[in-house]
Amino acid sequence: MLRQGKSASGLRLTIYKQRHLLYMLAPAFLLTLLFCYSPLLGWYIAFSDYRVGDSIFAGRFTGFAQFQKLFAESKDILYLVRNTLIMNLGTIVINLPFAGILAILFKELPWKRGAKIVQSVSFFPYFISWVITYSLLLSLFSVNSGAINMFLIRIGAIKRGINLLGSPAYSWGMMIALDAWKYTGYNCVIFLSTLSGIPLEQYEASELDGANRFQKVLYITVPYLLPTLCVLLIMNSGWVLSSNLEQYFIFTNSTNWETMEVLDMYIYKFGLKMLKFPYATAVGIVKSIISLLMICAVNATVKKLNDTSIF
Amino acid sequence: MKRKLTISGVIFDCFNTLFMFAIFVIMVYPFLYVFNSSISSPGTSRGSLLLIPSGITFDSYKILFKDATILRAALLSIARSVIGPFGMLLVSGMAGYSLSKRNLIFGRFFRLFIFFTMYFSAGIIPVYLLIQGLGLTGSFWVYILPMLVSPFNLVLIKTYIEGIPESLSEAVLIDGGTEIDVYFRCIIHVCLPVNAAVLLFSAINHWNSFIDTQLYNYANPELYTLQYVLYNTLATKLTQSLEQAKTAAKNTTNTQSIKMAISVITILPIMCVYPILQRYFVSGLMIGSIKA
Repeated sequence: MLRQGKSASGLRLTIYKQRHLLYMLAPAFLLTLLFCYSPLLGWYIAFSDYRVGDSIFAGRFTGFAQFQKLFAESKDILYLVRNTLIMNLGTIVINLPFAGILAILFKELPWKRGAKIVQSVSFFPYFISWVITYSLLLSLFSVNSGAINMFLIRIGAIKRGINLLGSPAYSWGMMIALDAWKYTGYNCVIFLSTLSGIPLEQYEASELDGANRFQKVLYITVPYLLPTLCVLLIMNSGWVLSSNLEQYFIFTNSTNWETMEVLDMYIYKFGLKMLKFPYATAVGIVKSIISLLMICAVNATVKKLNDTSIF
Repeated sequence: MKRKLTISGVIFDCFNTLFMFAIFVIMVYPFLYVFNSSISSPGTSRGSLLLIPSGITFDSYKILFKDATILRAALLSIARSVIGPFGMLLVSGMAGYSLSKRNLIFGRFFRLFIFFTMYFSAGIIPVYLLIQGLGLTGSFWVYILPMLVSPFNLVLIKTYIEGIPESLSEAVLIDGGTEIDVYFRCIIHVCLPVNAAVLLFSAINHWNSFIDTQLYNYANPELYTLQYVLYNTLATKLTQSLEQAKTAAKNTTNTQSIKMAISVITILPIMCVYPILQRYFVSGLMIGSIKA
């Protein structure tokens, strides 16, 4: 054996000294390696003629045939990217500023107890599952028995129930609205904590200068919230290609898929329903890589603006 | 802050109050409707918004609490919401302690290695193939093992430990203990608030989880969780045993109120812990969003 240098033996000494720390880290490290990194080996099947049931490396290498199918032969990518971007950007661009405005309105409400109650209530949907959300929506809006549909028919506002869950016309609006319902309370908490950091002297000083309520909101509160909003907007935009599979699995059906199906759902459909594993994996790889690049760009931007990074 | 009353200010307050009331209704009404609908007798409620229940009956719940499928699913959901969080706390807590040490060898690498997974995933299909290859499909452990490392909770624990004075752990080290003793005899007790918080978050995650049943245990009805059974009854139809029980109960219940009753028992646990949850979560959210 060759003689190790001084630094190498120093390294071994440190490892030995810290062995108990490393033992404690080992389970988390190995589990992460197994469940998050080892699946990367499975990317190989996108480049081979893998058949269900075989080992991952059994397939013959076929090059970029699957990617060609996605980009050249099929036009699916067009509607998939359209749906994914519209619904994800919609939730970011509409719902985040809405949460900021709501935070200001909470603060301006003269009845503090009331503001606290509404704020608590609006945070609750964050903690319930998408299945429950679906159940609530179904009970209110299903075509033949939904409470709101039935009520509107009874009072004569509409003749037939609105088919919110089954018609392609409502997909985008419904998903953005549902996202607002579920996550506004959560986003609002972030804005409220920024608001509580505004020094009171600022308001007092502006009062001495004769500013009224609206001027105070416009020239003090809003400028304080804008950086938070920017960071949230940028951070969320790293995820525009990713959707919550649970959510879209539940709401995508055979009548509204044209406007509802997103990339993740497409991967699920082609992979686990139609068992075209190589193709589905190829779509997944494209999505993962673009997402990764976007998140890196986002991280760099946030770092520049804010002096903190997300990793 | 005292406010001068102005006409425009009063008008604004009125609209703001109305708006808040609307938000309140939108957030609360769906839950109210589902609850009232689950205890209303069938036939009385059509076309009504059910602001109060009509013809109160608890028959749907009686049917559910006698149904073997539902009970089994509920037990399974409870099991994963208890075993999962404690397993997560053990694995992520120890790792959080290690990673909180500034002088940890390769510390920067280990931190990146674990936190990077918050932003990157190999994709649904490769993970599915791995789980299948490990023989975890069709097993209860598929609910537990992949969720043992939670980067988000790990950050919370790590940040909390970084705020504890070093002198505490030094005392144990001087007494001849190892770092493992330091964590289990001392730090874990100091971390009680953050540990309680992450246990709760993790329990909620496990309770709400649904897609893992669809992906890995689709073919194993005995491993269906409550969320999954609820989804099935909503999307398709009642299970055979529920259908029979409903027919036996004749006019006192119907499909709709049984569905609503399952929804209520699925929401209820979360509603019970919500007051605690909200308090912890707001502080946790702040730590988590500041820095990984």
